[in-house]
Amino acid sequence: MSYAYLFKYIIIGDTGVGKSCLLLQFTDKRFQPVHDLTIGVEFGARMITIDNKPIKLQIWDTAGQESFRSITRSYYRGAAGALLVYDITRRETFNHLASWLEDARQHANANMTIMLIGNKCDLAHRRAVSTEEGEQFAKEHGLIFMEASAKTAQNVEEAFIKTAATIYKKIQDGVFDVSNESYGIKVGYGGIPGPSGGRDGGSAQGGGCCS
Amino acid sequence: MQETELHDLSDDADYAASQLQGSASMMRSDSISKQSSSSDSDGAEIVYSKDNVTIHPTQFASERIGGRLKLIKQGSSLFMSWIPYKGQSSNARVSEKDRNLYTIRAVPFTEVRSIRRHTPALGWQYIIVVLSSGLAFPPLYFYNGGVKEFLATIKQHVFIVRSSEDANAFLVNDFQNPLQRTLSSLELPRAVSVAIEPSTSFSAGESPSNENQQRIDGGFHNESSSISQYNAKQRQKVHDPRDLSIQVLEKFSLVTKFARETTSQLFREGHGNGYGAIERRNHDQSSFDYPERVSSVKENVPDEIPVPSDPLEKIYCLKHNHVEEAATNLGTFELISCKEVDKLTLVWGKPRQPPLGSEEWVTFLDSEGRIVDSKALRKRVFYGGVEHGLRKEVWALLLGYHSYDSTYAEREYLRSIKKSEYETIKIQWQSISPEQAKRFTKFRERKGLIEKDVVRTDRSFSFYDGDDNTNVNLLRDILLTYSFYNFDLGYCQGMSDLLSPILFVMEDESESFWCFVALMERLGPNFNRDQNGMHSQLFALCKLVELLDSPLHNYFKQNDCLNYFFCFRWILIQFKREFEYEKTMRLWEVLWTHYLSEHLHLYVCVAILKRYRKKIMGEQMDFDTLLKFINELSGRIDLDSILRDAEALCICAGENGAACIPPGTPPSLPVDGLLLYTQQDDVL
Ligand SMILES: Nc1nc2c(ncn2[C@@H]2O[C@H](COP(=O)(O)OP(=O)(O)O)[C@@H](O)[C@H]2O)c(=O)[nH]1
Ligand SMILES: [Mg+2]
Repeated sequence: MSYAYLFKYIIIGDTGVGKSCLLLQFTDKRFQPVHDLTIGVEFGARMITIDNKPIKLQIWDTAGQESFRSITRSYYRGAAGALLVYDITRRETFNHLASWLEDARQHANANMTIMLIGNKCDLAHRRAVSTEEGEQFAKEHGLIFMEASAKTAQNVEEAFIKTAATIYKKIQDGVFDVSNESYGIKVGYGGIPGPSGGRDGGSAQGGGCCS
Repeated sequence: MQETELHDLSDDADYAASQLQGSASMMRSDSISKQSSSSDSDGAEIVYSKDNVTIHPTQFASERIGGRLKLIKQGSSLFMSWIPYKGQSSNARVSEKDRNLYTIRAVPFTEVRSIRRHTPALGWQYIIVVLSSGLAFPPLYFYNGGVKEFLATIKQHVFIVRSSEDANAFLVNDFQNPLQRTLSSLELPRAVSVAIEPSTSFSAGESPSNENQQRIDGGFHNESSSISQYNAKQRQKVHDPRDLSIQVLEKFSLVTKFARETTSQLFREGHGNGYGAIERRNHDQSSFDYPERVSSVKENVPDEIPVPSDPLEKIYCLKHNHVEEAATNLGTFELISCKEVDKLTLVWGKPRQPPLGSEEWVTFLDSEGRIVDSKALRKRVFYGGVEHGLRKEVWALLLGYHSYDSTYAEREYLRSIKKSEYETIKIQWQSISPEQAKRFTKFRERKGLIEKDVVRTDRSFSFYDGDDNTNVNLLRDILLTYSFYNFDLGYCQGMSDLLSPILFVMEDESESFWCFVALMERLGPNFNRDQNGMHSQLFALCKLVELLDSPLHNYFKQNDCLNYFFCFRWILIQFKREFEYEKTMRLWEVLWTHYLSEHLHLYVCVAILKRYRKKIMGEQMDFDTLLKFINELSGRIDLDSILRDAEALCICAGENGAACIPPGTPPSLPVDGLLLYTQQDDVL
């Protein structure tokens, strides 16, 4: 299928926070609790539309265990967007965000758009990290933030699309030289950035979904 | 022919003389001579000298080359040299040639990246010096101690810092950003191959005349290749010399000639002709690749890349002597040569056999259950695998849990002993009370991680599917017990993938545990926190591709793919995610025979890459595309034909293939044998 732009995303965060489930929910619109844990990296892709332009998201889903960090770092290269995921029911996954962010800052291009996702918000009764803390962290580090659930699909679509919309806006604003693929953007048919209205597509409300 | 002669000077008198000259120039330095090199008149000072620093060309300590290690200061530069003792043969098998090959002539520290110290609890301390090129010298064993002094002396003269990742690694010339450097060192193999890049070799001493330079370079090219053959000798021990397939090849000098030839090809530069004939002749079928072609590969992709017309069947090897045809009566290999100056030899892996069945199985056993000829059994399994019903018995032997010469009764006895031993270890974590667990973070973390992972392991496979599956609980218990048995290594993702088929086959908790333990003796380093085991395998793979498909190697190089991370999953869990369950078990039993090589899995990697080389290069895949492509090969690789290719490649590569793989590279047993996962406190 032809696209105006292709954006590379990377999903990072501790193991078990639901990265693979988020990806599957986004690409296949289903929740499959029974699947194999990720070794190395896995891929997903989906077309979305922003500002009436078809945009292909190519998504890299990584393994989260500490031992694999040095490998994971090599995947940041050329990512336009990152979904940094923690599990709202496990505090330690939130505590590790800073180190994930550090990796991202060091190994990704500086203009990478980062979306912080507090996943498993369907498990509100087991919540260990408040929405405010997530918001606060995102604000401090200049990230977009959403709580989501790969299980109920809540905010999943939104998270991926909002990230794309942000990247798209950066293109419109001339932040990227899109001919340089190290920004994680490939230009396809009809994707030459022009002075179009810059209306953000997709739904773009942030914040907690289940506070 | 002539070209080859030029580059194979190891037996040449002039070459030997140039070697002598090399050491002589160092000897002048030794005596603090004033008549040193023309470029530097400061003179040289020996700031460190240590006798009995020894190289072990094989893993057998009896074969060794003693020498003197020196640090030489000349002007503001520091050099390291290691000169073997002359004519003091510790062992007849170590030839004068070997002695020359391993010589380290004045290497400036500007070309040293890092030094890693190894201090095994038993045995000699040794160091591995890694050059900035990423290549390394073979381990230098300090029979009389002195590693600490050595490092301290270096510290006085050059900037050296301890790696924050590894207390035993010291980074040299790390001015810029120690952290950065340390991180980037992670992306590179640690202590590995031993080839010396020509340019790094002759930095001190006088510059020889042009003619000499050429000679010496030639010598070095040769040295670079041959030096790394220390592993090959060990490999030969693995091979039974009577092994027919090898014998056929050796008879025609294929193994050695090919190896030597290929390597001198690899190191030769700017030689742009001489093979056109073969290439034209084999244009559509030859996968035979020359470094000379690289430049044109770059320009003319995809059409100009020589690729095999039927990559499923054929692998070509270069052969140098005159064999018209050597189809063997053994049916193992077919050797066909072209009538060009340089002959082309075609090697097919042997057709796969049906799996070993029970009728045939009993013929391998004596009346008490001993395996009469373990080599024959391994060979049989190598070529065909094992019927599922026999796996329980055969895997325990292949993995080394039971020994081949054990009887039925002994195995039964061992089972019962091991069962109680397993229970003893298991009770260690089972007896941890919730109160104790509260204060035992590491335990809670491990348990949590394992519990999360076993429910994400092969759940679509009937043996593990469904809610509250007892086999899933067994996976958990065994992994947790293992993480106590090997507390230093603990648990790492990927282990559940390795355990899953073992439990499926063994159908018994304790037996599965001990088979898993045996497997982890070899694959444990895959899961080291610092990824050392993985890096050394990826590095060896890189070297093998360079040897067996240099255009592909160059393609990867140009596209920044030399870290081979796209093969990471293959190696980490032995292709478990690449094949369906049954095929994975088949592949594993073949790999575990260690029949042709302990590292057949690396040849399997090469075989797969070679199969898709045309697509990879033709479509100009970059790292991302390649990774995705490789990932998506999962479930689409035909195991039998890949095994045949891998077999043929392994035989083709011969000694030089073996030499690409540093000692101790998993699944070889670790060289140190001890202290696998701990880091020592340190001195400097
Ligand atoms: N309740 C709930 N469970 C989830 C959600 N997302 C993932 N999980 C569970 O968390 C486990 C780990 O998810 P996975 O996607 O494999 O994590 P990853 O290691 O980050 O890829 C899975 O077994 C899922 O059942 C969610 O949104 N809600
Ligand atoms: Mg995952």
